[in-house]
Amino acid sequence: MKINVMQDVLQANDRIAAENRQLFNKNRNLVLNLMSSPGAGKTSLLEKTAEKLAGKLRLGVIVGDIETTRDADRLSRFDIPAIQLTTGTACHLDANMVASALPHLKLDTIDILVVENVGNLVCPAEFIVGEDFKIMILSVTEGDEKPLKYPLMFRESALMLINKIDLLQYTNFNLAEARANARKINPAIDIIEISCTNGSGLDEWVSWLTARHRGKSGGAGHA
Amino acid sequence: MHEMGIAQNILDIAISAAGKEGASRITRINLVAGELRGIVPLQLSFCFGLVAKDSIAGGAYLHIEEVPVSGHCNDCNSDFSVKEYEYVCPKCGSAKIQLTGGTELSIKDIEVE
Repeated sequence: MKINVMQDVLQANDRIAAENRQLFNKNRNLVLNLMSSPGAGKTSLLEKTAEKLAGKLRLGVIVGDIETTRDADRLSRFDIPAIQLTTGTACHLDANMVASALPHLKLDTIDILVVENVGNLVCPAEFIVGEDFKIMILSVTEGDEKPLKYPLMFRESALMLINKIDLLQYTNFNLAEARANARKINPAIDIIEISCTNGSGLDEWVSWLTARHRGKSGGAGHA
Repeated sequence: MHEMGIAQNILDIAISAAGKEGASRITRINLVAGELRGIVPLQLSFCFGLVAKDSIAGGAYLHIEEVPVSGHCNDCNSDFSVKEYEYVCPKCGSAKIQLTGGTELSIKDIEVE
């Protein structure tokens, strides 16, 4: 006997993501799902962002890592709430894991919540966690062909940050090529070149962030 | 290895659908997987075999129908298949396209006894 099912395989995840989103909307949190391969600079970006936003917008972080709490330790010196989820063998954060972190955060005291995903260019793109935007980092040491190799992540992201731009001269990374490849996959993707080491491009990134926050909160930040 | 989590979800949905019909054994699951979802069929089948082993879907055949990426142009109204990750209309060059296939990941139907 044949039974018609017609059900999305990830509907259980998507249902929890919708509950997360409801909670975020109620608290007017701008929520970003930050993805990249390992070592592209996710935690460095958050450190720099915490510095830039200090006194202007209140940042909160949920960070996923397979083992260790090193990333949360790095962020703890910035006096921002950072919850570490050690995912064990999982290669990505899903909506349920993010939901498990929420009781540990005072969402009504957070303006921008960044979910720092597990370093991986494939799996994190598959799962929504309740975010407003997926964003990603590609670093120049990885290669300009990555958008073509991992299309889903580039397709799903609203913004691609090209990090380690200060190292460009030591690599064969072609900026124009990287931009063209990303826009082939996702013509609407925003692209900002940054260096977490020398600070270039970070003001533009913070403008992107504050504009999105204004759009979400319908007003100015908390001074 | 997002295949493992996906395999578990497939199993949960199939068992629940079979339960509603009072079936005691699942023999086949027909899955539709869009190319953009990056599913590796061999890996997914392997993972499914593992998670299903001790359930009513133990030994069931997981059939994976892969769907290529296709799009529709909002400017000139043409439908086309997306090749080599070129997300622009091949007819008029517009980037105002919407994807009509290639992102799905769903269970179409199951066969039970």
